[in-house]
Amino acid sequence: MTTTGPLASSATHSVAALQAAAGCQESQTQERERLWGKGFNRRRFLAGGLGVGVAALGSQLTTARVAYAAPGTTTGTLVVIFLRGGMDGLSLLVPGADPDLPTLRPDIAVPASRLIALDRGFGLHPSMAPLTSLIGAGRVAAVPAISTPDLSRSHFQAQDCLERGGAATGTQTGWLDRVLEVSGPGTTFRSVAVGGLMPRSLAGVDGAISFGSLAGLKIQGSGDGPWATATSAAIQTLYTGVADPIAAQAMLGTDAVTTAARLAVGAGGTTAAYPQGAFADSLKDVATLIKRGTGVRVACLDVGGWDMHTALGTVASGDMTSHVGDLAAALAADLGPLLDTTTIVTMSEFGRRVEQNASGGVDHGHGGVSLVIGGGVTGGVKGRWDGLSTAVLQQSGGDVPGANDYRDLLSEIVSKRLGLTAGVTAERLPGVAADVARCDGLRCPVRPVRPESSPPCSSGADRACGWRGTPAAPAPSGPPAPGRPGRPGRPKGCSASGTPTSAAAPP
Amino acid sequence: MTAVAVLASAAPLTAGSVAAPVVISGRSSSRSMSLTPSAQRYTGYAAVAAATTPTNPGVFAPDPALHLLRRATFGPRPSDIASIRRDGIDAWLSRQLNPGRIADPLGDSAWSMFPLASATPAQVRAQTAAYSWDAMIATAMATLGRQIFSTRQLYEQVADVFANHLHVAIPAEGWDTSSSYIGDVIRPFAMGRYRDMLLAAMRHPAMLLFLNNDVSTKAMVNENLGRELLELHTVGLGGGYTEAEVVQSAKVLTGRTITDGAFSYNSDAHWTGPLAVMGWSSPNATAAGGLAVGDSYLAYVANHPATARNIARKLAVRFVSDQPPTALIDRMAQSYLAHDTDIRAVLDTLFRSPEFWASVGQKSRRPLDDLVGAARVLDMLPGPKAADVLVTIQTLYWVVRDNGHAPLGWDPPNGYPDVAAAWNNAGSLVNRFTMHRALVNQWWGGMAQAGPTQLVPVTPGMTAGQWVDALSLRLLGQPMAPAHRDAVLSFAQVTAGSPVANALWQAWGAVPLLFDSPYYQLR
Repeated sequence: MTTTGPLASSATHSVAALQAAAGCQESQTQERERLWGKGFNRRRFLAGGLGVGVAALGSQLTTARVAYAAPGTTTGTLVVIFLRGGMDGLSLLVPGADPDLPTLRPDIAVPASRLIALDRGFGLHPSMAPLTSLIGAGRVAAVPAISTPDLSRSHFQAQDCLERGGAATGTQTGWLDRVLEVSGPGTTFRSVAVGGLMPRSLAGVDGAISFGSLAGLKIQGSGDGPWATATSAAIQTLYTGVADPIAAQAMLGTDAVTTAARLAVGAGGTTAAYPQGAFADSLKDVATLIKRGTGVRVACLDVGGWDMHTALGTVASGDMTSHVGDLAAALAADLGPLLDTTTIVTMSEFGRRVEQNASGGVDHGHGGVSLVIGGGVTGGVKGRWDGLSTAVLQQSGGDVPGANDYRDLLSEIVSKRLGLTAGVTAERLPGVAADVARCDGLRCPVRPVRPESSPPCSSGADRACGWRGTPAAPAPSGPPAPGRPGRPGRPKGCSASGTPTSAAAPP
Repeated sequence: MTAVAVLASAAPLTAGSVAAPVVISGRSSSRSMSLTPSAQRYTGYAAVAAATTPTNPGVFAPDPALHLLRRATFGPRPSDIASIRRDGIDAWLSRQLNPGRIADPLGDSAWSMFPLASATPAQVRAQTAAYSWDAMIATAMATLGRQIFSTRQLYEQVADVFANHLHVAIPAEGWDTSSSYIGDVIRPFAMGRYRDMLLAAMRHPAMLLFLNNDVSTKAMVNENLGRELLELHTVGLGGGYTEAEVVQSAKVLTGRTITDGAFSYNSDAHWTGPLAVMGWSSPNATAAGGLAVGDSYLAYVANHPATARNIARKLAVRFVSDQPPTALIDRMAQSYLAHDTDIRAVLDTLFRSPEFWASVGQKSRRPLDDLVGAARVLDMLPGPKAADVLVTIQTLYWVVRDNGHAPLGWDPPNGYPDVAAAWNNAGSLVNRFTMHRALVNQWWGGMAQAGPTQLVPVTPGMTAGQWVDALSLRLLGQPMAPAHRDAVLSFAQVTAGSPVANALWQAWGAVPLLFDSPYYQLR
């Protein structure tokens, strides 16, 4: 356990602020208790008010240090993989030695005998096998019981809270945007989101660029070679002298098109064989951008499909096994020398309930798991872990408690990976101070969406896509006219695993 | 179309006027429309426009009629420009504010290509497999078709605002319930009273399912709808309610549920006992009376001053600027209250405001505005083969969905963001540049429209410069600045004095540049 002493990573936070935060959280929790005690949620968050404030404060005092082996690796790329839907941490990083887990999850617990051993009694899901050599080399760290301060169990609210870096009400920018803002100017591809829309974490004015795929990053129909160049040049002139934020986007977009065209022909990209799937495709694009020296500092990827209310499955088969397998295979395809200068972190809006439900799945919970791979990481299980005893679960309302704070983990990664000072990091990733500000509203500033009481799996089809992933779009009717460039790609509603589409396609 | 006869009485829009709502049914089976009798002929907008100087017009020439068309339509067809030039701003806007007076054969025709659009739950269940997306997708596609082809452009804009305000996502879980929502709740009241729309929404199975009220009972209250009713649909975040009032709000709504896909009130599930929210209260003594108690609550919050500001702000953000002036919101909110939640009264105040006429160039296009607008500006019309038209509307739906902005398609309950900052995305902009080339060069077929060389008449002796100028006038309504004009000429590898024939060779790539440009992307 590499946890440092209290406040070691929070020197800028005064004791008074901590006390205020504790008071704030206590009053929040009591208010929730009061509401939920009247039946306002299917589950109560905490069994009783006793010690609530202290417990909340505890997560502030602990840091989930990933413990970089050596200082000095302050440049390189941070790859952020968001597992949408609420990934079940107890299936990925399994406390195999915990006596309570098999009892609470008789059908779905990963047997201890099947785990890829880590330390502190934990092991990884056997589908992580493609990463075995990296694990053995101590390049994979895992943090259990990690969460944001958000207590809602709402996908939308928890994702929003996490992607804003737990910032206070009124902050609209994402945490990565705020971090990048102070890390100096960069290239067109300094901050990229590959595979879908711009994630909230990059929202702001930083000039992040998102695109479906590198190959698709072109103005189709603008002709070959010289005509494409002329098109981009004309668009840039059309926006020269235009005082509107769209001008910057037009410049950025056309620059990216030009760079992508160069990348498509030159050598030096990735030659590794990637598995099939949208996530693997996106990761391959990220690898290409890194290897070709395009100056990527932050790359964001989304993987949907983790909202496993039903049929989570076993190690033999099922959604968890296939999802983890797809994730690990893609990650393992091309790592290697890249890992010296690349840090990969996975996050998810929340973990899930400890106890399995009647449908062989697990409902929304609180503490989850984050993996940190490469980039000078010292491997193993980091952060606080209190076990799954009855006493712990009573205190946490049946969830893995949020004993470790995402903001601490992200702060550390950012300061090391992106070379920011502790003071700047603390300012950009507000922790305790933000909790104080949030006291005003008694809740996170955004609305809950489709809380667990919604029937997320009514059709059985959309479950694997996560809450936001409506099932993958059926194929459109009619191909593009012959001889014309194709249309842009489908949105990747179902992301990596290619899980079910709608029950019926449109005409 | 049975509407026009209803318009005989032209009572002025006054405080307390009790008008029947505009009913424009979305159902293909009964596309009738009745109108409020208060369909006065609105006037006075042009005078305000003439007296107002745009604050920061950027690339735009001073031309209030074009400003109005950029905002009140998805994009002006040549016929829209001709109409406003001929009749003037007041007459054009008055007509648009009374959509029942406008025949909409093309919009009707596009809609009716999707028989499942706005189908009732019973129809969906009878005509599609369980959990089929067909009716949901058909409704969203029909909505897109109407946006492209409808002559009632302001009405379509306002309907889009309220579809996003009282939002139910399509497609989502409500495979059988959600397709009728737009036709039952949004479209009938988009130019009517907001209170009526709210009451309809809170009795519609789609909304009850979307925000979980169907499972909210006195024993297990689900606060989702009760909260969003306050936070999103009425008084807004910061409207002054407490968490305790959220609880009360949810209790009011208990018992509103779904039976066999239809709305029903289950009195056994209704929480009884005294309730109070933001100044409204009820003894709520009987379970049987719970539905009426709920309606009285909804009517109360619909008429709340904070709701007035929330609605005013939504409309001002759509039509004026991303950060509309407080003074304007105040006046619009006053109109809302003075006219008993009449949305048209709020719009009337908006279009009569100097703030609107000063806001030239302050809004920008989102992906849907871009697609629909470009199709209209290009004057895309249905081709002779209905089947091909259908396929192209379907394709356009998937194109705009790829760009993250399918009609009705936003997943969370707060509707698509309506401010530029949310859409600033270089990758998405590149996709839109592609889309402009596809639309100009008619990749998808099925439609009747002039190709890139036929958009403006080519006259003998015409120069490339004159052609680009004519093109600008045709597509943008005004000339471009010399440097921007030169960018288009330079792309076409000609100079202003070159023969037009040399430029026409590159029309395929030159014409889309006008849609790429700030003259089109800003509005």
